Order: sequence, then structure tokens, then C-alpha cells
Amino acid sequence: MADIFDSYQLAEAWDEMFERPGRPRAPYAGLLAALQPLDPGELRFRSDQLARMFTDRGVTYDYAGEERPFPLDLIPRVIDAVEWDLIARGVKQRVLALEAFLADVYGPRHAFADGVLPWRVVCTSTRFHREVAGLEPPNGVRCHVSGIDLVRDGAGKVRVLEDNVRIPSGVSYVIENRLAMTRTFPALFSEQHVHPVYSYPAELLAALGAAAPAGIPDPVVVVLTPGTANAAYFEHALLARLMGVELVEGGDLTCAGNRVYVHTTQGLRQVDVIYRRVDDDFLDPLQFRPDSVIGCPGMVNAARAGNVTIANAVGNGVADDKLLYTWVPDLIRYYLREEPLLENVESYRLDDPEVLHWVLANLDQLVLKPVDGAGGSGIVIGPKADEAALDALRARVTAQPRSWIAQQPVALSTSPVLIGETLAPRHIDLRPFAVNDGTDVWLLPGGLTRVALPEGELVVNSSRGGGSKDTWVLVPPGEPEPPFADSAAGQAALAVAAQPGPEVMPPQLPPEEQVSRESGPPMEDQQ
Amino acid sequence: MITGLLSRIAETLFWTGRYIERADDTARMVDVYVHRMLEEPHADQEADCRALLAVLGIPASDGARLDIGMTLDQAAYDRDNPSAIAGAVLAARRGARSVREVISSEMWECLNVTSHGLVSYRKSAERLGPHVYLEFIRERSALFFGLTESTMSHDEAWRFLVLGRSLERVDMTARLLLARMPATPYEVGWPMLLRSCGAYESFIRTRTWDGDPQQVVEFLLMDRLFPRSVVHALATAEEALAALDPGAGGALTDPARRSIGQLRTRLEYADPQQLQGLLPDMLATLQRTCRQASEAITSRYFIYEQPVIWAQEC
Amino acid sequence: MGWLLEIVHETRMHYQGAARASYNEARMTPLTLPSQTALQTRVSVGNGTQVWAYQDYWGTVVSSFDIQAPHHELTVRSHAVVETSAAPAPPDQLAWVELRARAAAGIAAEYLAATPRTTVDPALAEAARERTRGADPLETASIIAAWVRERVEYVPGATEVQTSAQEAWGKGQGVCQDIAHLTVALLRETGLPARYVSGYLHPRPKAGIGQAIAGQSHAWVEYWAGDWVAADPTNQASVGEGHVVVARGRDYADVPPLKGIYHGAPSVAMNVTVEVTRLA
Repeated sequence: MADIFDSYQLAEAWDEMFERPGRPRAPYAGLLAALQPLDPGELRFRSDQLARMFTDRGVTYDYAGEERPFPLDLIPRVIDAVEWDLIARGVKQRVLALEAFLADVYGPRHAFADGVLPWRVVCTSTRFHREVAGLEPPNGVRCHVSGIDLVRDGAGKVRVLEDNVRIPSGVSYVIENRLAMTRTFPALFSEQHVHPVYSYPAELLAALGAAAPAGIPDPVVVVLTPGTANAAYFEHALLARLMGVELVEGGDLTCAGNRVYVHTTQGLRQVDVIYRRVDDDFLDPLQFRPDSVIGCPGMVNAARAGNVTIANAVGNGVADDKLLYTWVPDLIRYYLREEPLLENVESYRLDDPEVLHWVLANLDQLVLKPVDGAGGSGIVIGPKADEAALDALRARVTAQPRSWIAQQPVALSTSPVLIGETLAPRHIDLRPFAVNDGTDVWLLPGGLTRVALPEGELVVNSSRGGGSKDTWVLVPPGEPEPPFADSAAGQAALAVAAQPGPEVMPPQLPPEEQVSRESGPPMEDQQ
Repeated sequence: MITGLLSRIAETLFWTGRYIERADDTARMVDVYVHRMLEEPHADQEADCRALLAVLGIPASDGARLDIGMTLDQAAYDRDNPSAIAGAVLAARRGARSVREVISSEMWECLNVTSHGLVSYRKSAERLGPHVYLEFIRERSALFFGLTESTMSHDEAWRFLVLGRSLERVDMTARLLLARMPATPYEVGWPMLLRSCGAYESFIRTRTWDGDPQQVVEFLLMDRLFPRSVVHALATAEEALAALDPGAGGALTDPARRSIGQLRTRLEYADPQQLQGLLPDMLATLQRTCRQASEAITSRYFIYEQPVIWAQEC
Repeated sequence: MGWLLEIVHETRMHYQGAARASYNEARMTPLTLPSQTALQTRVSVGNGTQVWAYQDYWGTVVSSFDIQAPHHELTVRSHAVVETSAAPAPPDQLAWVELRARAAAGIAAEYLAATPRTTVDPALAEAARERTRGADPLETASIIAAWVRERVEYVPGATEVQTSAQEAWGKGQGVCQDIAHLTVALLRETGLPARYVSGYLHPRPKAGIGQAIAGQSHAWVEYWAGDWVAADPTNQASVGEGHVVVARGRDYADVPPLKGIYHGAPSVAMNVTVEVTRLA
């Protein structure tokens, strides 16, 4: 039977959906069966519906100063239970190692005394903030939320691309994607058992509550946003609303006597936990940039005094540094005494002159990344760069080797994406979100699958014309259905038993007179 | 949970109420003025235009001869001046965007759609006359306040919005009456005045009018049932302030509530016969009280840090 | 046997108009170290303002406080009694090869990199290396300190608190802060980890016991040659009984005696007095 996948041409990469043309991988069998009967026009129609829904709801991102709907592709990305188990354990392991590392960096510095890695890796990082040395968070957690970016290489192996333990964003798209998909494509969910994602705000709120200063029975949590001009304002507002907490701006807060308060119409109210979406540099003008107008001076000292918890902790950026990334497998072995479950992409440190020399000679075959670049900015992909670009890169790397790492190129896996009215392979990655409440690291099932929409593009980021996919983690057959699943089946289960119809006004007139309708008094012109 | 509303949010809601009321009242006034100018070809158009801008508190551009088009540009279509209709709507939308978590999504969408519609309705107005634009504003304002009543909890946040709307209404009515005062050279017809306030039908239905202007003044100032009268708006503002001040068992300490209450009482018990003589003083007091009340509310409820440039020691 | 020194350090800020919502950190508390013992320390701020203390990354005791109410003046007073000791004998120094290897791998790596204030022109850096060629680490340090002092005349008011090492070199004039910045900058260029030290100096060794002397905040340096060694390039003297250490860092920016931000007019007048008395 001819179907929409007939014309799908596999690219030179691991395809998530198809083992070879016409042969789906096992986790996708159910999805394929549900999609096959559809014609391209209908896919396009539903896709346009999705975009409209996002525009109406304001699910947008800032693209060159313009608010655009974050493109959501119709074809979900599916992960089976076995693979998800590996990913979840691998991400947890990584988060725990980074937590231990950050506690060590801002505390006793054992790993450096033990020669695991040199202190210069830390003290030359622009994101290492000496201002928070010795500041111990109440429950020991610094990475309340982590976003660990994963890719699948050409051999099908999942690898870690980068760690984000400062203020990882994108979780609102996970929540909104699922909502949009269940609304526009309910049929897809009827045969699949997919882990729901609705519990993220509750998990986050619980973790933030657990991080509050000791002895506060009902801690006041707020979300701190830079304001409506921020590209991720939608996410800040959504999380605040779904957690049922206040969304505050810097000007709403005031510090006095090493405590943080929020200005209300009934006076000052003390705040216990600040889930901040403001960068370290702008958070506290007393400690960091004095020209910041979106922060609140005194906040860091209030946290130091143990009167407020800042989440994520200040100074986490040293763990996001790409040079530190190359050490993470060693950190896992040192702090956890475990072997890493997820491997890094093969990387090279340029502080060794011999390695630097080799890298400079092979720039055209390597990927060079700035150590403090976020979301793909500044990356140079050697095999795709021209001679002039490589020369410029060589000069910059030679001048500042500490600012770069080199990596082997990875052919990111592909997934079918609706382009116009046909399906074409596009590269994707995955950002699972991990929430640490101090006793356990919880993973939001799935996470954000980002799509590089331009053909052949390997950098997956919204600032480079990226989109996303709903990400499904399948519930294995035989496992009980999660309660209140946000699948169509789950929603059906929520439907209440039939109720009597609503009351109506009782008849005013004797039955025999009901046949003719009452009319008003005769009008004058009728007389 | 935090008890009490964030001061920034309270202030934004207060101003959202003011801006939308302002857009509504301004649209009504502009509509009536412009149609009179068009209906009465012998009227002094320039003087009428200046009168309108004066009532609205918009400085008329010097030198050039004012015509209806320029007046509309300044009073209706100016997107940067929050005293103009478009400016007020956009200011309300900007504010509402930062308090989306507090207002209903329908209220937000209403403001959003209204803001997006300004451009296309202006285009229509250029073809069909300003009425379509002004009618759009009136309808959207009514929709917004209707949604405010029906889709937002009548909680503290709602009260600040109502408070802003009421004070703006008092201020706008005072401005309108001020323009009608004998001391001002600009004559405004009484029926027109009533229409500007949307009060013409109510007035005609409840009074037998003998052409005495004083009846109109009395109605707009003192009618207890007409929701756009000054007394009614003051009473609504007072009610909102009373509900906002939970500790108001003993003596009244809230300066905003005291001055509004005093003014309302003074108006309610004023002798209609003496109104004409009291009017100039009364209108000045109305405007002053609105301004003072707004300041008192600001200093009591809206204390928070505006973005500041910090000065550094050493 | 060391000295017993009493230090009273008072800073008064006057604001044009009122300042409010003022947040501050003072670094004015002498440390307890192998070379000195702080017997009494107290930092106080007028008007009963509560002061919190913490130890920062560099080991400095920081006094933090905030003042919400409008004020026209701010006085921060640090009072301390410190037992000092004579200059220690120079340590057993490492050979360059081992010194470089250990510095690069260890915590001292922090003190090898130039900061914005201690970045010098490549030509000056090269001249420093040239001048010290063949010298061992301790000789290197004394050559650099003497050279800086020879080239930079001590002229109070010639430079400002923001002046960089390179600017002071170009000017040929400066105060102890500039001389210390230049010395740490050039020591780092020769491969010696070096840090900036802020503290107090009893200026007149011959003054009598119990005699209060008007003094100043002072700055000198320490460098790592297997152990930390102190040097006072401004006075070309050893660091001993008369020196009281308050803070150490990469440069002045890590150790400012008082920093803060507030609402109000930016212009301030500052009046600083330091009084040092040898008690025993």
C-alpha cells in the first residue's frame, strides 16, 4: 500500500525510525501503523493547526527580534523503555557527579588535592564564581534542574554532547508539545502507552520546597524572571502558573538584614526559595555586575547566611564549561566510583601543546567549540568550513587555547520531519530534564527533542532555525497504565459517569396552551 | 503561599483599569465632538479641535491650523502617548503582558486582539470615517470590562483594576464638565456632553428636561444609579479601597479612602440649587482628589524598586 | 619577639543628598596567620546597624551590612589588636623546573594569570624576564621588586584606585597599590605565582610604645617559591613586626577595604583615617 513514508529517503546517519527503507525500528511499529493511513495533505493540515495553536497560546521564541511559534513537528520521537532506562540512569549518574564536583569546587577541593584534575581548569573558567565559595545550600543541592544534551552517533550509541546546570530552558515546550499533540492528534495516543509529562511542575515545586532553609514548614517559592523582554518569558510564566507560585522581577524583591522579601500590597513578605531564571552575572549587583537592573543586591549574602535558597545555585556554570566537560568521565569515576553509563563525544583538550599542535593541523576534520558557548553558538564544523573560516579559527584558537575544545564530528541521528508535504530526514538531539530534590534525581520522561530544520544542519538550536518533536517514552506492555495519563486513553478514563442533564426553567403555562408561543402585547401599528 | 498581591502587579492592574477606561471615554468624546463638527458646517472647527485636545489634556501642536485629521492623529491614533486612545490601549496591553498570570487568559486575549486591531481599524477609519475606529474601541473596552467582571475572581487584584477604572472615570467626567464651564471660551452642547458619557438615554428616560443645563450637571455629578456618574464612580472606588484595607475597623487612616469618601459625601448631600455656584470649585476639587488619591494609593500599595542604576562606593 | 599593635581604621562617606537601600562589604579585619595573631577585632557601623561576617574565597574576613533608611553619612570603623612577629627566615626554595610544575598543577596556578589590572605590555614582560635571566626564584623576586621601586617614584595622589600596573609604569609614579600591582604582574611574567596583600603598616619603627601614629592602609606582595614569601617593594624592606595582613588576592579588586552600592546621587566624598599604636 502506498503511504506517506514511501518517498522517505534515509540520510547518511542513524535513522531513529527506520532500520532500512520500509522497515521501522521496533518502538516505532505502532506509530507507523497509525500514521500510514494518512495522506500528506492531512499531515500538512494538522501541522498548520499545531502552529496556529502555538501562536494563539503564545508558545513562541524570539527569532531575530520577532516572536515566532516554536515549530513542532508532527512525527513524535519514540524511545522504548529499555533505552530510556539507560538514558535515565546515565543522566542521573552525570548529575550526581556534577553535584559532587560543584560541592568540591566551592568547598574542600579534594579532587584537586588528589590530582584528579588540575585547579587551573576551574580557576581559569569565566563561570567560576569565587563569590560563592563556602556557600553551602541547605539540602546540598546545587543543580535543582539539569538539562543534559544527548545525541546518537552513526553507530546508534547515545552520547553526551554538553551539560547545562545553570538555567536550562525548554521544558515548557515539552509540556506544550504534549498538550498540542493530544489535542490535534488524539488517535496517535489511543494505541500507544506513553509516559505522561504533566507531573514536571509538581516535581519541580517539591524539589524547590525541599531545598528551602531548614525549619520552614511551608516555604514561599517564587520564580524570578528578567521580565517580559526575555526570550524565555513564556516558560517562566508557565512554570510559575503551573506551580502556583508568584512570578517576580528583580524590582519586586528587596534584601534587608540578610533576608529576601517580596513587596506586596500588604507589606514585605519573606521569600524562602528563588527559582531564578536570571543569569549569575545579573543576579546580585553587589557581587556581580553593578549595572544590572534585573537583579536584587544582597541576595548572595542572604543565601550565604542560609536565609534563602537560590536555585539553581550561583556558580554552577563552571560545570558547563566545555573544558570541564572533557573531565566529567573522570569525575564520575572519582566521586561515584562508577564507570560512566553514557560516553562523551570524543574530545581534545588544547592546554597540552602537542594536542593543540595536532588539532591546529587537523581543523578541517574536527569540530571546534567555544568553552562557554551555549546552545551551539560559535561552533565551527571543520568539514563544512571554508579555508578562510578555518584560518580565522586557527588564529583565534592559537590566541586563546583555553577558550576552545576540539571534538570528533558526530553525524547526529535523523528522524522523519514534515517539510512541505513530504517527509524528509533531519538531524535531532535530546535534552532530558533532571530534577534533584536532594534524595533522588527524577527525570521527566522523554525531554525535549530538538530538530535542525535546514537540510544537513548539525547544530540543533532554535537560534539556527530549529524545531522540536514530542518525545515519547513507551510504557512496556504489561506495566500498569500510569494514573491520569495525558494520553487520549487516559483522558477517556478521566471522563465522569453520565449525569442528569442541567435543570431548565419549569413550564409556566398549562400544557394545553404550550402549543402556541406567547407574544407581546399588540403593537400600535398592528391595530 | 504569599498573602497579599505583588505591588508591581497591583500597580499594573490599577493602570490597566485606568488606561482602558481612558481609551473608552476618549473614544466617546472624540466621536461626539467629531460628529458635531461634521454636522454643523458653520461651527468653528479649529476652536472645537482645540477644545477637545484641551479637555483630554493633550497639548495641541503650535502654529499649524488644527483640523479634524490632525486632532484624530493626536487624540486617537497616537501610539506613543498614553493619553491618546491607541497609546492607552497599547500601554494597557504592555502592562497586562507582565501580569498574565493574574488576569484571565480571556482578558489578555481581548487586549491582545484589540492592540493588533488598531492598525487595521485605523485603515478602515481613513476610508469610512473615524466612527468605525471609535466604535471598535468602545466595544472592546466593554468586552474587556465585561470579561473582568465575569472571568476574574473578585479578589484583591480585581479591586485594583476596578479602583483604577473608577478614578479614571471621575477624572474624565470632571474634564468634560470643566470644558463646559462658563469660564472656558469653548461651547459644548449639552446633549453632546451627555452623549460623550453614554448618558443621553439614561438622562432622557429619568428626567423631564426643560433645557436647564444644571440638570445635566446634576445628573453627571450626582446620579446614584447611573454608573458613569461621578458619585457612582467615587462610591465604587471607595468600596474597593475599603475592601483592600482589612484593618479598617477603627478610625479611618487611609488617606485615599478618606479624601474620596469626603468628596462623595459632599457631592451626595450638595444642594442641587447651589450646584451652579459650587461647580468650578467642585470640579477643581474632583481633579485634585483623584490625583491625590492616586498618589496615596501608590505610596501605600505600590512600593517596590523600579529598575535602578546603583551608585557604587569606592 | 613580635609587637602588639592596635589599629583603628575609620572610613566616612558623605553623600550628596540622601543615600538609601545601601549594601556594603568591608574587608578591614586583620587575619590570624602563622605570622600574626588577631587578639581583638571588631567592625562597627553607626546607628546600630547589624554587621554580618563571613570568610571569602581568599580567606579574608568580610563584614557585610545593609542600611535601608535614607542617610547622608556612613561611618565604618574597624578596631583591632594584633600580635605580629619578626620577618621569618627565607624558605628553602624550589628549583625552577619543580616550581613551575607544582605551580601549574596546584592551587597556586590561580596567581600565575594576569588580571585586567596586572596585565602589562609584552615588551615590559619580556624585559622583566631578560633582567632576571639566570637568577633563582628568590633573587628573581628581589630583582623585580627593586627594579619596580627604582622606576616608580612614590607620589601620593599621582594615581587613582583604578589605575593599572601598566599605567603606573608609564607614569613612573604611584603609591603602594601601584607598586604592588606592578611587582605581582612582573613576578607572574617570570613564572612566580604572586599575590597582592592589603593591610596596615606601622610607619615609624622608632615611635614609642603607646604613641598613636597616623598611618595608612598599605599594600605589599607575596610570591610562591615552594612556600609563600612576603616582600614590601614600596619600602624595600622585609615584612615583619610592623606589617598587619588583612587580605590577599590576585589584585586590589579581590580585596577592596569597602565596596557597596546604594540608591542615590553618585558623588561621594570619602575620608579615611588609620591610627596605629604599638602597645608592646
